[in-house]
Amino acid sequence: MKKCMIVLLILSPILTGCWDKRELNELGITLAIGIDKVEDEYQVTAQVVVPSEIPTKTSTGRSPVILFQEKGETVNEALRKITKTSPRKIYPGHLRMLVLGEDLAKEGIAKSLDLLSRDWELRSDFFVAIAKDMTAAEVLNVRTTIENIPANNMFNSLQTSEHYWAATNGIKLDELIASLTSDGTEAVLTGILVTGDQEIGSTKQEVESINPPVRIVYDELAVFKKDKLVGWLTERESRGYNGIVNEVQKSVTAISCPEEGKATIEIIQADSKVKGKINKGMPEVDINIKVKGNVGEVECQINLNDLDTIVELEKITEKQMEETINMSIETLQKQYKSDIFGFGEAIHRSNPKEWKKMKEQWDEEFPKLKANVKVDVKLVHTGTEGNSFLEKIEVK
Amino acid sequence: MMQDVKINSYQFLVLVILFTIGTSILTVPSALATGAKQDAWIAAIIGTGIGLLVIWLLITIALWFPHLTYVQMIEKLFGRWIGKALAAFFVLIVLFYASELLYYFGLFLNIHMMPNTPMVVLNILMAGIVVMGVRLGLETFARTAEILIVVFFAFFFILVVCLSPEMKFENIQPVYEMGTKKIIQSSIFYVIVSSVNAVVLLMIFPSFVNKMKQGRKTFLIGNLIGGIVIIIITFLSVTVLGIDKTAGEIYPSYELTKRINIGNFIQRIEGLMASLWVITLYFKTTLYFYASVLGMAQILNLKDYRPLTLPLGMIAVVLSLVIYPNIIYQKHFDDTTGNSLTLSIGLFLPLLLVVIYAIRKRMKKNEIEI
Repeated sequence: MKKCMIVLLILSPILTGCWDKRELNELGITLAIGIDKVEDEYQVTAQVVVPSEIPTKTSTGRSPVILFQEKGETVNEALRKITKTSPRKIYPGHLRMLVLGEDLAKEGIAKSLDLLSRDWELRSDFFVAIAKDMTAAEVLNVRTTIENIPANNMFNSLQTSEHYWAATNGIKLDELIASLTSDGTEAVLTGILVTGDQEIGSTKQEVESINPPVRIVYDELAVFKKDKLVGWLTERESRGYNGIVNEVQKSVTAISCPEEGKATIEIIQADSKVKGKINKGMPEVDINIKVKGNVGEVECQINLNDLDTIVELEKITEKQMEETINMSIETLQKQYKSDIFGFGEAIHRSNPKEWKKMKEQWDEEFPKLKANVKVDVKLVHTGTEGNSFLEKIEVK
Repeated sequence: MMQDVKINSYQFLVLVILFTIGTSILTVPSALATGAKQDAWIAAIIGTGIGLLVIWLLITIALWFPHLTYVQMIEKLFGRWIGKALAAFFVLIVLFYASELLYYFGLFLNIHMMPNTPMVVLNILMAGIVVMGVRLGLETFARTAEILIVVFFAFFFILVVCLSPEMKFENIQPVYEMGTKKIIQSSIFYVIVSSVNAVVLLMIFPSFVNKMKQGRKTFLIGNLIGGIVIIIITFLSVTVLGIDKTAGEIYPSYELTKRINIGNFIQRIEGLMASLWVITLYFKTTLYFYASVLGMAQILNLKDYRPLTLPLGMIAVVLSLVIYPNIIYQKHFDDTTGNSLTLSIGLFLPLLLVVIYAIRKRMKKNEIEI
């Protein structure tokens, strides 16, 4: 026993530490990565946190993040090359945003994603977005105010808008890869763009003013076919898409009142079920959406105390949502011919045998597909008030 | 003194559970999803069923010789020389498996957690505690298993509870698309890894288990519980990760733990969850190593197996570094040669034992009649 202890004592000073230790001050914590295609090379832009600028008390007003950019034949090579300019190795373990340039998206995004799912340091819980009409580098080159770190700003803003507005869709790497590899679904990504004079965007001037001249904005959804960008949906079509794929959590929708004026319905819960079937040899899908909502705003003359009014509002909302959804299906069928809704998957799930026959020519089958949309709206309450005070103003 | 060692049936149950889960928890979901796609979980259920049949065969054989280990059984039935040769074959393969598991352990840490640490260091660390466990004896590591199984199931419970909200049942539809043939085919690998390999446990059952009749039940129940854990892990992998990801990942269950995220607060706990695999891998390695060391001692008619532990431990470490040049080779080997090796010691050898036993019994009967 004593001998053992002596051996251990002698060994312990030699065996300190471990091969894989990395101190925090050796890591370049990267929160956003942008990938562009410039000529034949990948251009990788990494937004790295400047740790000394994060605590608000001691910050000197310098930028909280710094951009590093390199080009390489492959994404991994470009990422490693960054060590030429960065004093610390890029550590992507806390990545929040991956922005892909539009040019890259038009050529195909699949090849640039392999590294991100293969590397051991990366986790797949970051959002992927497409820079609309610009490069990814330009999107990352903007300072933000409420969230000091632009990447966090982008992440939270996408999460919030997805949650409360439902025209954007925060898509994580796994979901993207799953829809790229699946036979019966095509991929969709949210667009991101920068408005205003980009020269100012990266400077201190940007964060000093109350009304920053440059903003990062999420735009509507980008439609893919295989891994190539084929077009953009409008806001309304994007909302239709999210309704079908059950990505609506909360939202508001403006409707026309029975006579004149507008009202707003606040959606508090939406649940969509897509069922595929084969009807006389032709593929068909039934889309059933159950929506729970409130009357969120009234800007017209209606009597909310009357049960019939509520039923009527429900009907109007149903009709309007059905129109929205039918419109987005039609656009995808006629214009882009891309099955982003996963209707193919739905048919695969319900009828694997027929799907096997149909799989190969799904691209031709999809535009002919018949979709039966049914929305069922239930209005629960009318907010904190019954009838609107507008009524009384009009009477006077 | 070697024969005095006894473990109770609960300890044996724990060992069987840990052995059955062993490496399967890491590799089986991916192997099943490659063949059976979204029906991987059905394949896991069928695999567990077939596995129980195999275990039943092993138990039947073991109970003919309640006081002998597998190596001694082989020697007794086949006679001295053929018996010793077959027993040596068994012992060598089991030692080979012990070092294969060291390789698994080193590679797993190399890929996911410590890419810069040389594999030899990781393997030595693991082999160190394996040798230590075996030197301290069956009773000691059975008691350790009793403690660690609680940790294992606690973590496993956390894993299942945390992931259940992320399950998407669309991922397993359409159910039963692949057809019976494909599903059974892909479950074979799982049966081999989890149940046929359990022939190693005949080195401690029934000779070192104190209540034999109970031990028989525990063997089956242990295998069943281990099988249920694997079914749950496979089901989770397919429903949470999807088929392509499960089949594509080398260690899908580790990827699963990365998904745990409760309110952006409980997250990034995969390092902690890795203890799941370290625990099961450790006990499977230890049981393999114990079987090979004990078996070798019995072939050589040694009184005690302990002097063999260190040298064989060193051999196992060296072997673990040279058996596979890369992971693709290992996968290929496991699918082809590895399967045949396991089947030959775990299925054909027992069946041969049955045949010989029957012949000998008849001969004895005839002798009496004459």
